[in-house]
Amino acid sequence: MSLSINTAKESNLALCPKCHKLNQLRDGDSHQKIQCVRCHGFFYQRKPHSLQYTLAWNIAALIAFIPANLYPIMIIYSLGIGDPSTILSGIGQFVDHGLYPIAAIIFTASIIVPLLKIAGLFLLVYRVHTGVRLRPDKHSKFYHILEFLGPWSMLDVFVVALLVAVVELGFITSVAAGPAINYFTLTVIFTMIAANSFDPRLLWDKKQSNE
Amino acid sequence: MSANIDTKQLIACQQCDALYDKPELKQGQSVKCIRCGSTIAERKVDSIERSFNWSLAGLFFLVPAILLPIMGVTLAGQYHHASLLDCILVLIDRGFFMIAILVFLFAIAVPIVRLFGAFYITYSFKFNKLKPSLLHFLRAFHHLDNWAMLNVFMLGIVVSMYKLLDDTDLSVNMGLFAFILWLISSTMASAALDQDYIWQRLEDEFVD
Repeated sequence: MSLSINTAKESNLALCPKCHKLNQLRDGDSHQKIQCVRCHGFFYQRKPHSLQYTLAWNIAALIAFIPANLYPIMIIYSLGIGDPSTILSGIGQFVDHGLYPIAAIIFTASIIVPLLKIAGLFLLVYRVHTGVRLRPDKHSKFYHILEFLGPWSMLDVFVVALLVAVVELGFITSVAAGPAINYFTLTVIFTMIAANSFDPRLLWDKKQSNE
Repeated sequence: MSANIDTKQLIACQQCDALYDKPELKQGQSVKCIRCGSTIAERKVDSIERSFNWSLAGLFFLVPAILLPIMGVTLAGQYHHASLLDCILVLIDRGFFMIAILVFLFAIAVPIVRLFGAFYITYSFKFNKLKPSLLHFLRAFHHLDNWAMLNVFMLGIVVSMYKLLDDTDLSVNMGLFAFILWLISSTMASAALDQDYIWQRLEDEFVD
């Protein structure tokens, strides 16, 4: 860092995550629970045990992602015969029909984004923990992309919910949700909580303590 | 490390914790952190007025967006349509309670609460009815920041339309237009809400 930047932590201040008010720490204990003078909410200077929480939610998301891909996410009944499809085979159907843009959107939202989020958060936790080749500017941008992408994975769940409701023509054709939809939703929620648990300020803290 | 730092004259970057002197911003100006490049503070143009009008529009479109059928299919002479609320009811009917609850939360409950929240806050500011309870209200409002997924649901509608176009007759109903308008107005309402300014005003009013 060419410019010497003072951080709030070094100045014995803590930023309220909700109302962005700087609070003064009493007697310099950086792990204490602080009550914000402006919004009266409780918070910590850094999210406590941020890395452990991120890692734990991340592992949970990874575990839930396995049944999410193995079980069928949607079962299409036509004339009484059920045709189950998993996330991947659903994408395959779009490719067969030549709907490449839609196939690409679903593939990105349901496969690439969850995996990228899980792998990316593992990487961030590892880098913060060890401090190896830590580039806070690059990594905090990366973290923002991950955070932004999170909710878009819900796409497949919403699609199934809509199809179940709309395609309801009795015996001729109907759509039912498969067991994978529960696991997939859990994956999405776990990765969102994992991303929320990560405190990007730790990247800069670690970098500064390394220098 | 002196004990008498004036916290009113300082701001810190939320992303990297860098500390700066508080700048005086005019409407439309924003400051970026020189270390990590994220926006630290922003003074939005006509925030209260714009957010009030958008959230009013959003409240107007809310009921038709949820209750009117979004789309319908015709196959072998039979027609069936569904609204946003029908999605939830059918999922409950089929026993998918977890999905029903989550779709309800992300696509209906959280957006509604956020819209009413934005409306209530801007209403209080516009007509000068500030109450100390707004501090707690606004803090609770922030907890919902990440969990409104109307935009994702919109993409879901588009994708499922493509899926249905293939082997059924698809009809688009009024619910879809209401939903799009609801999506636009609630997005604009929360985008126009200048939270720094609101916190600052509330602080001047009620804290100390």
